Amino acid sequence: MIQFSDVSKYFDNESALTDINLSVEKGELVYITGPSGAGKTTLLRLIYRAERPDAGSVVVGGMDVGKLKQGEIPSLRRNTGIVFQDFRLLTNKTVFENVALALRIHGIHPKEIKERVNEVFGDIGLKHKMHEFPQHLSGGEQQMVAIARAIVSKPTVLLADEPTGNLDPDTATIILKLFKEININGTTVVIATHHEALFKGTGRRVVYLKEGRIQKESIA
Amino acid sequence: MKTLSFLFQTAAENFWREKWINALTVLTIAVGLFIISTFALIILNVDVTLKQWSKGFGLVVYLNDSLTAEEEGIIKKYLKQDTDILEINYISKDQALKELKQSLGAMNPVLEGFEENPLPASFELKLKREALEPFLIKKKVGQIKQITGVADVQYGEKWLSSLNSLSEGMKIIGIILGSIIFVAITFVTYSTIKILFYRRAEEIETLKLLGASRGFIRLPFLIAGLFIGILSGIMVLFTLLSLYAFTTSRITELIPAVKAFTTFFPPETYPLLPLGGAAISLIGSIFAIGRIRY
Repeated sequence: MIQFSDVSKYFDNESALTDINLSVEKGELVYITGPSGAGKTTLLRLIYRAERPDAGSVVVGGMDVGKLKQGEIPSLRRNTGIVFQDFRLLTNKTVFENVALALRIHGIHPKEIKERVNEVFGDIGLKHKMHEFPQHLSGGEQQMVAIARAIVSKPTVLLADEPTGNLDPDTATIILKLFKEININGTTVVIATHHEALFKGTGRRVVYLKEGRIQKESIA
Repeated sequence: MKTLSFLFQTAAENFWREKWINALTVLTIAVGLFIISTFALIILNVDVTLKQWSKGFGLVVYLNDSLTAEEEGIIKKYLKQDTDILEINYISKDQALKELKQSLGAMNPVLEGFEENPLPASFELKLKREALEPFLIKKKVGQIKQITGVADVQYGEKWLSSLNSLSEGMKIIGIILGSIIFVAITFVTYSTIKILFYRRAEEIETLKLLGASRGFIRLPFLIAGLFIGILSGIMVLFTLLSLYAFTTSRITELIPAVKAFTTFFPPETYPLLPLGGAAISLIGSIFAIGRIRY
């Protein structure tokens, strides 16, 4: 599903990623871990073409994303659910509208949008807050909404950048449960986190990054 | 279709959110459109005045005193063949004298010094509006002068050429002014849309990351440009209508005859102002979003 081949990425001549070779199979749930600055976010950004590799190739669903034309990028992103580290919720829209936006971009009928958004808010347990504005929600709730937006369009790939950031353990557990459910339904999930507790004992593949290089891979 | 209605809604929301910038842009564009349309209205009124005046415009063909009634009839027949001539009135020597006496009023004793009627008989010709071009008239006068028995031909040469020059001059100024204002309006919309785009940069970045297409992101800005143009046009139309009604009512109170020389744009052309505003504004918006990288 996702294939990194000899990928390197530089920012101002400083190496962010070096010689990355990584393969994520369809339907797999993989954790990318490592200390801050290890290159976790850059690795995710290469998958959804927010960055282009300076060397090597990143292939997602058979497409070399580094070679995509500008007009082809939206299609890649529409098939990729992304949970951003900073949530990226629109403060001038209710959380319902924030989640609905992902479906509107897909051109889905308003009636279906309503049904699906209601359903996903039921899944994350925030149905009672769906007409609030993001800034009126707690950090954990905002994170939940960001996840809801990423999964509502049923993407083939889900990328989550530090999805449990500063959340309390209970909320983190709910979020992880959500990711597992999505993964069971066939979505390939890549989670970047520096919280070892998050993947410990999950039996999933963990890729360790350090200073932009893959240090090791193991099963948690 | 549903997506389009959502994008219209988004444009309306954004328009309201940035209402002060948009209001300022609408006003600026309205001023430009007002100048263009006021100028167009003046040109229209000058044209109407010319038309009205041309109804009374004529050539006076003076005849030789020695002509017989039959010879005069031949000249009249010849003139009747000219399709540019709408009306031919024969003024006999006696009638000419009578009219002169009437117009001189108390001064008419000055004519008593003449033993014979010094005035020639004449034909007064009324011409079609299209034939009132100075060079055409000159040509026609030359042709009539060639007719045997015609002593002279006179017409308001200076007036005609002055009014025509005024009308032509105003049209040229109108085109130049219109072009300058067109560019200015395009630039104002261009700048506003660019500012609005940058003010929403973060939101747009999120939309891009969610996979929004170029159209999905850009269309609300084009719609905003349309809103701005339409609103400006409507504003100018109502201002112009009110000002016209007010001004003409005041002037006609003083000089009632002016009413025959004033006119407003025909109602079927009213939509042209909002549509024109929208079109110019849309061009500015297209330039603005075209220069912004996706």
